[in-house]
Order: sequence, then structure tokens, then C-alpha cells
Amino acid sequence: MAKRITIDPITRIEGHLRVDVEVENNAVSNAWASCTMWRGIEKILRGRDPRDAWLFTQRFCGVCTTVHAMASVRSVEDALKLEVPLNAQYIRNLILIGHALHDHIVHFYQLSALDWVDVLQIPKADPAAASKLAESLSPWTRNSRNELKAAQDKVKAVAASGQLGIFANGYWGHPAMRLSPEVNLLAFSHYLQALEYQRKALQVVGILGSKTPHVQTLTVGGVTNAIDLDSQSALGMDKLEMIRTLLAEVNQFVQQVYLVDVCAVAAMYPEWFKFGSGVRNYLAVPDLPLDSHGSAHDLPGGYIMNGNVAGTHPFKTAADPEFRQAVTEDVTHSYYQGTKPLHPWSGETEPEFTGWNGEQKYSWVKSPRFQGHPMQVGPLSQVLVGYAQGHPLTKKYAELALNKVSAIAGVHATPDMLHSTLGRHAARAIRAGMLSELADKHWQLLVDNIAKGDYTVHNAPVFGSSEVEGVGTHEAPRGTLSHWVVIKDQKIKNYQAVVPSTWNASPRDNNGASGPYEASLMHNPIADPERPLEVLRTIHSFDPCMACACHTFDPEGKHIAEVKVL
Amino acid sequence: MKRVLIAGIGNVLLGDDGVGPYVLHQLENSCSFEAGVTLEDLGTPALDFIDHIAGLDALIVIDSVDNGKPPATITFYRKNDLARCPSTIRMDTHSPAITSSLAAAEIFYGASPADILLIGISAENYEAGCALSDSVKAAVEPAVQAVLRELERLGVTVQRKSKTEVHAWWSEAQPA
Repeated sequence: MAKRITIDPITRIEGHLRVDVEVENNAVSNAWASCTMWRGIEKILRGRDPRDAWLFTQRFCGVCTTVHAMASVRSVEDALKLEVPLNAQYIRNLILIGHALHDHIVHFYQLSALDWVDVLQIPKADPAAASKLAESLSPWTRNSRNELKAAQDKVKAVAASGQLGIFANGYWGHPAMRLSPEVNLLAFSHYLQALEYQRKALQVVGILGSKTPHVQTLTVGGVTNAIDLDSQSALGMDKLEMIRTLLAEVNQFVQQVYLVDVCAVAAMYPEWFKFGSGVRNYLAVPDLPLDSHGSAHDLPGGYIMNGNVAGTHPFKTAADPEFRQAVTEDVTHSYYQGTKPLHPWSGETEPEFTGWNGEQKYSWVKSPRFQGHPMQVGPLSQVLVGYAQGHPLTKKYAELALNKVSAIAGVHATPDMLHSTLGRHAARAIRAGMLSELADKHWQLLVDNIAKGDYTVHNAPVFGSSEVEGVGTHEAPRGTLSHWVVIKDQKIKNYQAVVPSTWNASPRDNNGASGPYEASLMHNPIADPERPLEVLRTIHSFDPCMACACHTFDPEGKHIAEVKVL
Repeated sequence: MKRVLIAGIGNVLLGDDGVGPYVLHQLENSCSFEAGVTLEDLGTPALDFIDHIAGLDALIVIDSVDNGKPPATITFYRKNDLARCPSTIRMDTHSPAITSSLAAAEIFYGASPADILLIGISAENYEAGCALSDSVKAAVEPAVQAVLRELERLGVTVQRKSKTEVHAWWSEAQPA
């Protein structure tokens, strides 16, 4: 008889991810991912001026504010066929890179590293041995015995204060943890340093966006950063130099610490290259535009079906005709009314809450489908699509990471292994490597363009009275994001956001096909059903983002995740 | 000069969850503050909250709370009350993290603010929409007053310019 485990960090308020798995013979035999939040953004936006939409959409989420602002202005620009000046593209690209680097670093260290790293082992570590090990892996200068000893002392102090909970994981001492005390210490020391470097990445967003969270400098048709190289109140050389310095520091952390740590952890848990693949259809949109109309990009896009990497289809533009047509959302197993999959431009969000029923409706997330199929989105999709297309920068970092894993683990790591729980972590680090290199490039592109005397940052939008449709895409940290807008008489007639986590967390569809979270959990091992760490490892590898809709402080402490074993 | 942050927290798209930013907006538009006082609409921060609180002398947070009390009830929580809240198992990077952020700032930087006041407003409705419920609206002015009293207690000068309620940009009704 299968044992049912529910992981539900739910409060009274909507807004969280719930995972149910059935376990048989110490492995997952069935899985359901559901989300308890409900959003009705189109209800909030209908009738408003399309130029204002981004200010609302960036309030979807407390951490990904920037990405929803960007996809929104792009959707309106697409509907109006409005070009974006080069300076504005480069400034936007630097904002997107800063945000993505912050996000990838926080995801690995603050969210998921502690699925693999056991803080309880750290007091037993020998800092000198850990330092020696670190120096054999990386030229990073902050791996000294003293720095590691200081990190170890912090853990000891926290343990003594009884506040280990701040590391936000309940599974210390779990049998599936098995790094040496020294590797645990090293990773934890980088956990602390990551807090500093993610902040530097976010400072870039703050300088160019004037505020974070919620950037203020976007506008339909460009950006509002006035460029004046000699002025301290505009975007001038002092701010540009500050940005370059910050990006260089983050770059060094990514290349010398993040990439190395992911490869080292991966090399020590190689069996996790075998679990967690799930849906092998991959989707990514091109991003970081290099021209004013979005036809050349520095990040590759396209799709792969059924794991057929060689048969990848590239997307040439950010709003590729194939992408525009092929996206639908199904609500067979979602708490909404509706009988057939709908294209986002005609999408509806009429709630029909039934309570959790795994056979029928069980999630507030809709099921986005591409050509009728579930798709996995995220850094892994972008890396696989780029690798398959021979994209040079993707190949460079993918090979660097695979070679590092091979060297540490003493195995031959191949791109096939990326279809897995660890593959998603590796791909995120690979993408961070690419982005930190591109940060430098786009900074230079901006400065060179300004040096030519081009100070333009904005093209004014012109609205007609006829109905127009647009899609704005962004390859966000969690994957393909698309905002779909219908405009008539300069008012929003319909608006839908198809966000990365709905692709990945989608429930089963009208064909019974599971979404990526659900499919990826199948056959995961479960050593201890009371502490289903392995489920968290796989779900975390997607970088889930489900709590973005609501934020209410619960002083009575009911926020504790519920893990129920039936 | 005291470094004080007044932070409005909450999602303005989800009914009463937006009360923190709404109260902050009232303060911004009706008062002038001495140097060192910063007002920030932080939306729904996660661990990036640490970056906003490190190095402060005092922190005042205005947020909706889920404490089972009738809507619009204002409850005050001090540093010790917050420290007693258990942290959660994090499913994602975005889960609310006030308690974790305070603890992290304390332990890693030795720098969580000495004075902390969370002004918690019990909510009625978290449905999608930009308006506050009528009951919670009635708590806006008392919450503004609570912030001003706390600033006075901290010895910070404030000038109240007007008591007229200012509608926040997000709370304006949609055109028909």
C-alpha cells in the first residue's frame, strides 16, 4: 500500500506550493503539485492605460518585481510595433543581468544548498584542511583558514543560541546528507559570502532602476534614465563605473565560487544526475536584445521535444510567430471554469474552487502548454537549447562545468546527465557564468553607444483605436515568462501572464499529462517518509516561486510547513 | 542622527495585504521627517530584507497580520515578540522572511536594529484587487498615529503637514 506524504507550508492565506507524493518501496510512485494562491491580474488591469500596466504587474512578486515590469512593457511595445532605442535595450539588459545574478546566487546558496549541506557537521570540520581543499579547487582568495574558522564560529554560536531554524531547513542530520565536515564548512562559508555578492548584484538593479524592489525607470518605449556623462544626477560616468565595479566583483564570485561549488556538490552526489528529469520538452525564449527591434540576442531561445536535443527548433525573435501561436492554458485540473484550452489573448480566470481532489481539480495554477504539450522551463531549457544550437557562450560554460564535475568525481560527465535534479542546478550555474560575462559586454556596448553621441532612451508610444494584441517575453531566472495583452482605444481589454512557475508547477492537463514538478518526482528515492528531503531536493532544483502573491506576517507562528504522512 | 527605516510591507494587488504600503504612502504625503529617516515601500521582500535593515538604529514595520483578531485591530510587536516566532521550512526563495532576516542580520552582521516595532493590522480580505476593505481603511489613520508616536519615543522630529487622506496610485478605481 502506497504511503501518502503531503508537504504544505500553508498558512490561512493563499499563496503557497503544496506537494503530495505517494511512496512505495522507498521511492515516489505518484505526485501532485498544486498551488493554493489565486491571482486575477486581468481583473485589476482591464480598462487601465497600457502604459501603466508594468507598475501593477511588478507587484506580483516581491523578489521578481523587475521581470514582470520588463515583460509588461515589452508586451505593449510588441502590440504597438514600437522599437526600443539601443541605449534603453542595454540599460534594460544590465538590469536584467543584475537581477538574474542576484536570483541565481540566492537560489543556490540561501534556498537549496542546505538540501545538500549539513550544518550540524560544520563544528566537526578542520578549517585548515577545508582551506587546503578549497585552494585545490579555486583561486578564490577568501578561502583562508581564518575566514573558514570565522564561519565555523558563527555556526557554533547559532547552534548554541538554539536558532538553527534561521537556515530554514528542518532536515539536519538526515541520512541522505553525506558531505565531509570540511566540504560542509566550505559551502557554508560561501553561503555567508553569497549574501554579500547577491547584494552587489542587486545594487546594479538599484542604481539603474532607481529603486529595488520595484524599479522605477522603465517606460513603454524605453527607459527614463537621462544620460549625461558629466552629471551626478543623471546616468553619468561615476554611476557607470560603480556598476562596472559591482558587476566585476559579482563575476569573480560566480566564476570562482558559485560555479565551482555547484560542480563540487554535484560530484559528491552523482546519483542525483539520474533522478528528477521528468518532462523532457524544453522551452526558452531568446533574451538580451542587441538591436532595437529584438531580432538579435545574446541568450539563445527555442524548444526541444521528447529529449530530442539534436532536433531543437530555434526561435529567431523574442516574440517568435511559432511561440505566439502555440501557447495555450488548460484548466481541466485547475480551480477555474472552462472546458477547453485557451490562448492567453482570449484567456479567462473565472474561479471554481472545489477543494483538493487529485482525480479532478487540485490547483490554482493553470496548465500552460506549447503545441499541446507540457514544457519544462528554466536555465536548463536555455542551456540545452543553446548547447544543441551550438551557441558558443553556452557551449563554453557547459563544457567548463561538465569538465569540472568530471575532474572532481573522476567520472565522464556528459550533457545527457543534465536531464536531472542536479542538471538543473548545474545549468543555473552555467547560465550565471554566461550572464556575468555578458554583463561586461553589455556595459561596454552601452558606453560605446553613448560615446558615439547617442543619448536617446525613449521612443514615444502611439496608440490607435483599433484592437491590437501583443506578447512580451523575458527569459527570467526561473524560465520563460510571457505577458499577453489586448489593447483597444488605449485601454487594456485583456491581460494574462504565463509565468515560469506555472509551466513547471502545472497540474495534469486535459490529456492527463503531468507538469514538470510532478513528473520529476517520479521514482525519486525517499529514505525517511517523515523527513522527505529528497522531494525538496528535486522541487528546489526548479527554483520554485509560488509564494509571490501574498505576504502576511503571522506572529502566532503558524507558518511552519506541515509535513503529513498518511 | 538616528538611522530609522519606516517600511510598508505587503502586496498592493491583494486587498488588505496592501495596507502597509498604503499607510506608508499616507506618511510620505502628510509629513516631513528629519534626516536619517527613510520611508520604503518594500512590497513583499524575502531575504533581501536583510539589506534594508543592516545598520539601522530603529525599524518600524507596517504590515497586515494574520493573528485571528477582528479586522482593523492594530497589534504591536516588539523585537522580543518577533524573535520568538519560529522560522519556517522554506519551499522557495520568496517565502516571507521577516523573522529570518532579523535573525540573520543579528547573527551574521551583529547589526539588527536595537529598536523594532511591527505595527500589525489584522486584515479582512486578501482577494485580488487594489482597494482596502472599509473596515481596514479605518485603521489607516490610527496606524499613522502609531508611527508618529514611535518616532516621538525615539526622539525623532516629524512635522505633520496635513491630515487629508491621499489616495495611493494603485488604489484609484479602474476606468469603466
